[in-house]
Amino acid sequence: MAETTYIDAIRRALGEEMDRDEAVFLMGQDIAAFGGAFRACKGLFEKHGRLRVINTPLMESGTVGAALGAALVGKRPVLEMQFADFVSCGFNQIVNNVAKTYYRWEAPVPMVIRLPFGGGAGAGPFHSQSPEAWFAHTPGLCVVAPSTPRDALGMLKAAIRDPNPVIYLEHRFLYRREKEDLPEGDLLTPLGRAHVAREGKHVTILTWSWTLHESLAAAEELAKEGVSVEVVDLRTLSPLDEDTIFTSVRKTSKVLIVHEATITAGFGAELAARVADQCFEWLDGPVRRVAYADRPSPYNKKLEQSLLPGRERITAALRKLARY
Amino acid sequence: MAASKPPQPLSPAPAGTDPRVLRRAHFLMRLSRAWDSRFEAMARVGRIGRWYSAVGNECTTVGTSLALGANDAISTVHRDLGAVLTHYLDPTRLAPGLFEDGDQTEWDALRPPPQALLDQLASQVFGRRGGFTRGVDRSFHYGLIKPEWGIRHVGMISHLGSMIPVAAGLALANLQDGNDRAVLGFIGEGATSQGDFHEALNMAGVMKLPLILVVENNRYAFSTPLSEQYACEKLSDRAPGYGIAGETVDGLDFDAVHAAMNRAVQRARTGEGATLLECMLPRMRGHAEGDGSYELIPPAEREEYLKQDPLVRFEAMLVDRALADVERVKEVTEIARGIIEDAVERAMATEEPLIDEATRPVFAPGEVATAFARQSTEVTGG
Ligand SMILES: Cc1ncc(C[n+]2csc(CCOP(=O)(O)OP(=O)(O)O)c2C)c(N)n1
Ligand SMILES: [Mg+2]
Repeated sequence: MAETTYIDAIRRALGEEMDRDEAVFLMGQDIAAFGGAFRACKGLFEKHGRLRVINTPLMESGTVGAALGAALVGKRPVLEMQFADFVSCGFNQIVNNVAKTYYRWEAPVPMVIRLPFGGGAGAGPFHSQSPEAWFAHTPGLCVVAPSTPRDALGMLKAAIRDPNPVIYLEHRFLYRREKEDLPEGDLLTPLGRAHVAREGKHVTILTWSWTLHESLAAAEELAKEGVSVEVVDLRTLSPLDEDTIFTSVRKTSKVLIVHEATITAGFGAELAARVADQCFEWLDGPVRRVAYADRPSPYNKKLEQSLLPGRERITAALRKLARY
Repeated sequence: MAASKPPQPLSPAPAGTDPRVLRRAHFLMRLSRAWDSRFEAMARVGRIGRWYSAVGNECTTVGTSLALGANDAISTVHRDLGAVLTHYLDPTRLAPGLFEDGDQTEWDALRPPPQALLDQLASQVFGRRGGFTRGVDRSFHYGLIKPEWGIRHVGMISHLGSMIPVAAGLALANLQDGNDRAVLGFIGEGATSQGDFHEALNMAGVMKLPLILVVENNRYAFSTPLSEQYACEKLSDRAPGYGIAGETVDGLDFDAVHAAMNRAVQRARTGEGATLLECMLPRMRGHAEGDGSYELIPPAEREEYLKQDPLVRFEAMLVDRALADVERVKEVTEIARGIIEDAVERAMATEEPLIDEATRPVFAPGEVATAFARQSTEVTGG
């Protein structure tokens, strides 16, 4: 057992999968000797060389396109976007080329695109976004967002092994804050499976990534007031593990959806629609959302904090919902 | 099929391309032209929705792709039928009467029966059950990767320019595997204005990728002329800016196209890196058949283009070099026409796709595919 941070877990997953399978290789900006903007790839270049840890020029579209070409002839590329925000420059390649290939001519595209995302660092409008809904809307992409070091490890390994494109959202705020004792061995977390992070009876929270931790803190707060909150960590957003979600909602009859991305047409809207459709008879209150206001992320930390859906806002929303 | 009638050289071996390559090229170019003639005719009477003719491109598409070997890769766009036919087919089995002993290459022997592949291609273009995509995507929007056949073909998506980085990625995989295989990508001059053109060629320069990008410069993109597309003298002038080799050749001069491509393949195989090969072509057809775009080109200019038919020029060259006579030219033309006629007839008689193809999986089998199928949206049909 060794204490592993969230970003250590990512590095471990990359290293283990590169050792296991020659076809796995990394592409990204400044990932070779430097190890990437957040050092997620640190040490891998020295071990695997420049043909498996590839520094690219400053480009995103070209990188995704090239990864597709390599994947079509048997490689398993793992891409790092320097910040999730820049994935917009590779958007066309992802949603039109990568995502549609298997449906069109049945060529598997094993590819992982790692997106360091999320706010909390006062990084402004272009280094703070949560782009999961951009991709969850596109058929043919698996979208995952692990919340813990254990899942960061297990889901990245599973994503690299899956024969499909996986958008892997890793939260920058969790990189060095989340730590866990992880055993040795081949630790996998299945894709497409949610996880009940806290059991409860009165309200269900559906959430993922950084807001999972805020939700757990809020649930703790509510417990003091006699409200028992169940917190479901979705982990995989698309495809969605409805069994776990609906089972929880049917048990508690109240749902709060929490996400960091902006609220309108956010992934929470999809969750709300499915819950309304499939759990209508069980619901005892409105399906509520706590999310980011429909604004870009402001630079000043105080301004940003005022918009982030943190534990206070979640706690307040839970109190209201519990009264129904 | 007509009887064998190999060309009789009247004089000692002529200068220029190997006669065996020319014999093969002639048949493939005629096959491509016959296909276009048939589909243009169908487009005119509304039997197919839309047709992007490759008339005028044959010498370039066939002349370049004939320089490749088994498991070199091609990445094609919408006027590259000639390259697809060249990459897929063993002509010596498709039209045995036109070829001589020793014409069949080792790669030909690896390839599947050509008739079946041609039928599949025709079904694909009609959106039928027997096509490569079984009805879910149009004409050349698919790929066929069969290393055991020596075939590595990645077709297009509609977004022009998007396949250039993909071709670069195919080349990158060769570099990683340490083999000496080359990748040939095609693009129209219009799509060279896309950002992906820049990103891919810059990457090809930096990484010394074994990539050859052929620009089929037919002077128009839909209705947009060169003068509104780019401001450099030649598109190959961009090559030094990427640190790669660049050439512009007359895309109607088979010897020049084939020789330039051979040089580029040599560079790719020996680690010297990428080449941007611009082939100048006449705009012999409009953007899509019957869309009115051809009429925008001044009549005198159009006339000039129509006089530059690559097949006319190629066949004159064959006769000139005593590699064929008029009879032989006619025979090749007729046999190619018959083969395409039959393939089209057979494809039109095939069935529409199964309706279930519309909802076939978006994920390759595995954990993700299983999770996808479990969702209520899938169960209820969305
Ligand atoms: C990204 C993108 N934008 C616009 C179009 C629409 N479009 C289809 S073909 C075409 C012209 C292409 O010109 P060029 O690249 O020169 O090829 P050509 O048709 O002349 O062979 C256009 C604009 C497209 N397919 N893709
Ligand atoms: Mg053009």
